[in-house]
Formats: sequence, structure tokens, C-alpha cells
Amino acid sequence: MSVFIDTSLRLLAWLILAPLLPGVINKVKAWVAGRQGPPVLQLYYDLARLWRKGVVISTLASPGFIIAPAVAWVAVIGAAALLPLAGADAPVSFDGDVLLLVYLLALARFCTAWGAMETGSAFEGMGAAREVSYAILAEVGIITAILTLAVQSGSISLSSMFEPLPGPSAALLAVGLFIILLAENCRVPFDDPNTHLELTMIHEVMVLDHSGPPLAMILHGASVKLMLFAVFLAQAVLPLSEVPLVMSLALLALAVLLVAVAVGLVESLTARLAFRRVPLLLTIGFLFCLFPLLLTWMGEI
Amino acid sequence: MTPTLLGTAALALLLAMVLGGARPRLWLGLNSLGALAGLGAALVVLVSGHGLTWRGDFVLGGENVVLLLDAISALFLVLVCLVGGLGAVYAMEYWSDHHFPRSAPRGRVWWSALVLSMGLVLTCGNGLHFLFVWEAFALSAYFLITLDNDRAEVRRAGWLYLAASHAGTMALFAFFSALAAGTGSWELGPMHAHPGLAPLFWLALFGFGVKAGIFPLHIWLPSAHAGAPSHVSAIMSAVAIKMGVYGIVRFSGWLPIPDGAGWAVLGIGCASALLGIVFAMAQNDLKRLLAYCSVENVGIIMIGLGLALLAAAHGHPVWGQAALAGAFLHVLNHGLFKSLLFFGAGSVLHATGTRDMSRLGGLWQAMPWTAALFALGAAAVSGLPPLNGFVSEWAIYQGLLRAVIEKGQTFGVLPAVIVLAGTGALALAAFAKAAAVVFLGAPRGRTALQAAECGWAMRLPMIVPAVVMVCIGLMPGLFLRPVQGAIAAWAPRWAATDPLIPARALGGTHTVLACVLAAAAFLILRKVRANGTRRAMTWDCGYAAPTPHMQYTSGSFAGIVSGWFAWIVRPEKRTRRVRGHFPESALALERIPETVLEKGIGPAARTVLLLADAAKNMQHGRLHLYILYVFLGVTALGLLAVQGGM
Repeated sequence: MSVFIDTSLRLLAWLILAPLLPGVINKVKAWVAGRQGPPVLQLYYDLARLWRKGVVISTLASPGFIIAPAVAWVAVIGAAALLPLAGADAPVSFDGDVLLLVYLLALARFCTAWGAMETGSAFEGMGAAREVSYAILAEVGIITAILTLAVQSGSISLSSMFEPLPGPSAALLAVGLFIILLAENCRVPFDDPNTHLELTMIHEVMVLDHSGPPLAMILHGASVKLMLFAVFLAQAVLPLSEVPLVMSLALLALAVLLVAVAVGLVESLTARLAFRRVPLLLTIGFLFCLFPLLLTWMGEI
Repeated sequence: MTPTLLGTAALALLLAMVLGGARPRLWLGLNSLGALAGLGAALVVLVSGHGLTWRGDFVLGGENVVLLLDAISALFLVLVCLVGGLGAVYAMEYWSDHHFPRSAPRGRVWWSALVLSMGLVLTCGNGLHFLFVWEAFALSAYFLITLDNDRAEVRRAGWLYLAASHAGTMALFAFFSALAAGTGSWELGPMHAHPGLAPLFWLALFGFGVKAGIFPLHIWLPSAHAGAPSHVSAIMSAVAIKMGVYGIVRFSGWLPIPDGAGWAVLGIGCASALLGIVFAMAQNDLKRLLAYCSVENVGIIMIGLGLALLAAAHGHPVWGQAALAGAFLHVLNHGLFKSLLFFGAGSVLHATGTRDMSRLGGLWQAMPWTAALFALGAAAVSGLPPLNGFVSEWAIYQGLLRAVIEKGQTFGVLPAVIVLAGTGALALAAFAKAAAVVFLGAPRGRTALQAAECGWAMRLPMIVPAVVMVCIGLMPGLFLRPVQGAIAAWAPRWAATDPLIPARALGGTHTVLACVLAAAAFLILRKVRANGTRRAMTWDCGYAAPTPHMQYTSGSFAGIVSGWFAWIVRPEKRTRRVRGHFPESALALERIPETVLEKGIGPAARTVLLLADAAKNMQHGRLHLYILYVFLGVTALGLLAVQGGM
């Protein structure tokens, strides 16, 4: 019974807290620009409204157009549920669950690309092609980061994988994972979530024709994915397993908030990259994950 | 019971070969009976764990007939019988007498011959007989590939297959002869007592590697799989290349292994996996894409096997077993989803008459069954949970990660992890492209508009593998247990250790995930219906009149990745723009060459021919010059002798 309650609480935390992050990012951006900006809870209002709206479906689209966002949403939530939260173990934990997490995110990507291709639009096809192509580099980077954690902790299960890294490795890994976070969540400098009519975007362009409840699932799933990457980054870098549970939870929340602020600052202070530079930056992210791996292998400095 | 079943299977297939040419229904019955009986025999061996060794009294070619069926061969036999049976059902509609009155009877005969000879390859326990049945298998596959021999493209593909296959067979002739000379007998079995035989492993790796389609030896595979009728492509890709894998697995278990073999197999696996899927991504031909994807999957199997060889060499049974379990399961998994995908591609080809993805699109409306099943296969081949492809890749990952975290001498497998991750993401990109470009959006050509769904005889062979795939995904433990028997047959000293694969936990998680996915899909459909829907033209940021030609095509979808790998893919592009006062119509053509064949082996072969042509000038019929040759030759020999004498 306690397992059941624990799982429900954890899922509720993911579902309810995740839409806060985009709100925080937008507030930071508004603050830097000297504007008032939308309220922090804006995404909640949007989701509630979208959930009640009707749906416009392209004449070309199959039922997969509606189902794909739901599958992607479940996959992202499932991946989030696998992640332990600051010493509180995940409800399911087994050797190799970290790979399930990576491949659940891949399932979400497959479904998003599928949904985009349903409409037969040039624009959305372009987004799908970019998404799946850049994700190759991002996935390689994530696996490298996971290898670093696995080599450091000597474990391939998420519950015991987050051992404290030595300082330099932790710093390098933080930068690498942050770059991958920006790419995978379609933030500046890879993508611009603000411009809806720009020829150079990735994620936003894939969801142009979605509306109503499926769009709500896509937006909510995107916020959960952002929080998932932030939590993963925080746990990989901070020695959370060494402090008491309550303290570590507080630290984790603070770290996630800081990541959101950092995303907002990056978004305010830098411009989007030219598209041919995107693979270059992703490769740099991969290298930032590779160096700590080599450091961990060679031994402590 | 096993001998009876095997005997029934052989007899039924033999009868199907003899009688099937004229009577399609009788052939289907006999072929299905043979496949079912063989499947039964294989399952009995896998479930009971007791192999079969049968020594015949009669002599063939101076050697006693010996049949062996242990867990390894039984595992491959399952695949042979499954696809051999289903493909026959598929062929009844796909390659019927009505449409192909000349080649259909021939196709039936060779189909049963292929299934029978592959079964014999798996059960043969004598080197000499192995060569016989191996040749029979290669030839029946050749006649099946060239079934449609009115087309020049098919004849060329068949010729290339035959040449490549015999290059491999030549190595196998040398291999089995050297084996017989080394052990003093043609009988096959564990040969660890003769450490001098270790170098022969390389010969086996080449000979069987040609058939398996590992990277630089895969040259015959794309054109043969693309040109053959789709049920033949399915059995070639899902089963026939696995005979090569079987040979490598079998003899890596029996032979003493040379140093460095594990690393070599691992490296070959990485190269095949990565480059195979890169070439697949770049293809515009649906069946060529699937064929290159087979190169990738054989690469993944080789990564698992290479890791197992390393584990055996360094004495790490735990992760060796995990990797080998993954490799064996991937053999089965790839057979399942690749036959499903080729059957699906055949159904598309049947309905539209083209394999060119740039002319297809929007087929889900006309062919909902094919579209749904192909999408399932695409998700499985991309290794997505909760399907079977993830289970086997996950087991191989387990072996790799355990090898890395031990930080021992095997830390060098680290690049393989990164390659496998990149391969997984590339496979997803390639199959998102294949499924989406063919089945979604608007039809790109007139052919795609007139498509119709295939009949049940073609649908059933797609449904059966799909069901098994879902079962493997949801109950991996049930399928990993028979694989344990195959591992014990490969490395008997590993039988006592527990592989530490948490299959139950994964199966449980997959089951929960599948239930939640189904529930979410149902609920969102209901919610959307309750909220009210409206059909409208694709908005696409306000395009007033979108046409099908504006859609992303297969070439543009793959553009980013084939740009990264242009150094090896080398796409040949021809464009014509609208220019000048009297412009011609615009044109953009792209062809993806088979780089190894056209840029490597082709030029080398042309050089040899040129040299041979030049040598022809020496043969002119002038006697006095011939006498000069002889004189010069004798003088040179004499000088050599004098030099040597001093």
C-alpha cells in the first residue's frame, strides 16, 4: 500500500510541478528584458483551456495523429517515473533501467515525428527530419554521461548510479548535460520557442497542426521532459546522496529552479545559432560529457 | 518425438518440392506441415533442453550421415520454420499462378527446397555434407532471387549474389578441408583439443561473413533483397543471412579462438551496425532501406557475439552471458520484425507497383492494416519499448555496461556503447522516415492514389510475427529461458552462472507501460470526440494551396544525416533548374550508390580486367617470339639456379 501511495505522490509531483518551469523561464526572460511578462502559472491556464477545446484535424491525418501525442506523453511520464528523487528510490528499479529511460524518450520522439508527418506539410516534415537527426548527437551525449555515472558508481541501475563525482568531472559534466538539455528541450541557442513563424525551428514546427487536448498533452509532456533533464543534471552533479532526505529534496528543488533560471538567462543573453552550427555545439556537448568519462576512468585528479 | 517430427518435416518438404509445382494448394499444405513439424521439433529441443544426435547407418560420399540438433541450431530452426511457413502463405496471394503463370510454379519448388536445405544446414553434423547442403541452400536462394528473370536488374542482382556467395563458399571449402585434415575426421563437434586450429577461425569468419552480410562483405545484399519478390526478400533477410550468423556462432563455440578474435568481431559489428544504418537512412528505395537495415542488425548481433568472445577469453561469465543472450534473442527478433517489414513492403509494392518512396505517401487510408503493422515493425526495429527490439538491445547493453564498469582490460569496449547508442538513434530516424513517408501525408503520385489493401493471405503472415513480437516485449523472461540453453551449448562452462538479467522486472514494466499506453490512446480518442472535431486542410502556417509535391520526401528527410556521412554514402545528385528564356522543366534526381561495390570492388575488378587485356597482347601466334619467351624463361631459371647454388 505504501508503495502505491509513494508512486502516486511521485507521479503527482511530476505532473503538477513540471509546468512551473516554463513559467519560471519566461519570468526570468521578462525580468531581463524589463517587462512584466506572463504570470508564472500561465502554462496551467493554457493547459486547462486547451483541454476543453475542440480539435481541428487535417484532412490527411489518420487516428495516429491523435494517439501519437498521448503515447509520447505517457512515454515521457514513464521515463520521469523511473528517475529516483534525491535518495528517494524510484518505484521500479532494476539493472539497466537507465537504458529504458533513454529509449522511452526515443519512443516519445518517434511519436512526435510521426504526428508531424501525418499532416503532409513541408514545414512539419522539416521539423521532424531535424528533430530525429539532431537527436542522434544528443542521444550519444546522454549515453556518454550515463557511462560516466556508471563508471564512477560501478552500477547500472538508476537508484544507485548517482554517486558524487570529483569536482572537475562534475563541472564538465554539468556543462555537457546543460548543452544537451538545451538541445533536447528546444531552447535557445538550438531552437527558439517564441518564434512560431520562423523557418528555422525544430520542435515548435512539428506541433503546428495540433490543437485541443492533444496539444495540451504535447505542451505538458515538453515541460515534464524539461524537468526530467533538470533533475537528471542536478542529481548527476550534486552529491545529494550524502545529505539527509529532506535536505536533499530541498537542494534538488533549488537546483532545478536554478537550471530554469539559467535557461532563461541563456535565452535572454544569446541568439539562436545558425543551423549549420547546431551539430557543432552538440558535438561540443558530447565532448564535455566524454572528458569526465575519461577522467573518471583514469582515476581521480 | 524429435526424430519423428524432423522426419515428417523433411518428408513433407521433399514432397512439396516434387508435387508443389503443379498443385499450389497441395504445396501450401505440405509446406505448412513441414514448417509446423520442424517448428515442433525445435520447440521440443528448446523447452526440454535435450539436444538430439542421430547417427545414420547409410553412407553418403564416403561419410556416415550425422544429424545434430542442439539448442543453438533449434533456435535458428524456429526462425527457418516460422518464416518458411508464413512466406508460403504470403506467396499464395503475392506471387500467384494467376499473375505469374511462368515463374510461380518454379517459385514454389525452390521455396520448399530453400527451407529444406536451410533446415539441413542447421542439423548437419558432418563437414562434407555441410558443404553439400550449404551449396544447395545457396543455389535455391539464387533461383528464388532470380524468379522474376525478365528484368535485367534482377538478373544482375542474382549474378552478384551468386559470385559473392561462391567467394564465401570457396573459403568454406578450404575451412572444412583444413578442419578435417587437422582433426582427422569430417565429423563436426567441439575441437578445443586442437589449439593449432585457431587460425581457421578467420577463414570461417570470412566464409560465413559473406552470407551474413557483415560490413565490407555485404555488397550482394542490397540489390538481391530489393530485386527479389518480397516473400523471398523476407526469407533472405530474416533467415538466410542468419545462416551465416549461425556458422560464425557455431564455430566460435567449437573452435579454439585466436587472440584478438573478440576485438575483431566487436569491431566488425560496430562498423556494420553504424554504416549499415547510415546507408539505410540515405536510401530512397523502400526495400533497399530494409536490406541495409539487415546489415545493421547483423552488426548488433556481432557486437553481442564479440563481447561474448571477449568475456570467454578474459573469464567473465556474467556479462558474457548477458551479451550472448542479447545476441541470440536479437537473431530471433530481427527475423520477426524484418519478415514483417518485408511483407509490409511487399504489400505496398503489390498495391502500387513501386518501391520508390518519393512516389508513395498517404497509404494509410487505403491500407490501414499494412500501415499499422508496418508502424509496429518500425517501432520494434528502432528498439523502442515495450517491444521486442528493445529487449535484445537492452541485454547487449547490459553486457557492454558491465564490461565497462569493471574497469579491467575490457574497458576498450566503451566505444561500442557509444556506437550502439548512435545506431539506435539512427535506426529511429531511418524508420520514422520509412514509415512516415510511405504511409502518411498525401499521395505523391498517381500510383499511390489507386492502392488497395492486401488480402488475408498476405495480412496473416504480418499479424503472426507482430503478435510474437509483442509477446517477447511483454514476457522477455519466457523467451530468455530457451536462450539460456543455447548459451549453455555455446559455452558449457557458463551453464552454472546466473546471467543477472532482470527480465521479470523489465517484463513487468513493459506490461504496465503497454496497458497505460493503450488506456491513454483510448482516453484521448474519447476526449477528442467528446470535445468535438472539425476536419480542415493542413494549416501549415497558412499555406493557401498546399500540394503533395511540397511534402518532405525521403531524400530531404535524410538530407542532414547523409550530409554528415557524405564521405562514405557519396550521393550522386543531378538537378536541372528553370533558367533562361525557354526553360526545360525542373528536375532533381538522387541516386545512392553502393559505395563498397561501386567505388572499391568495381574499380579493382576493372583494373584486373585491363591488366588481363594487356596480357592478351603476348598471345599473338608468332612462333619465333614464343621461342624467345621460352629461351628467356629457361635462362632466367638457369640464372636463378646458379644464384641459389652459390
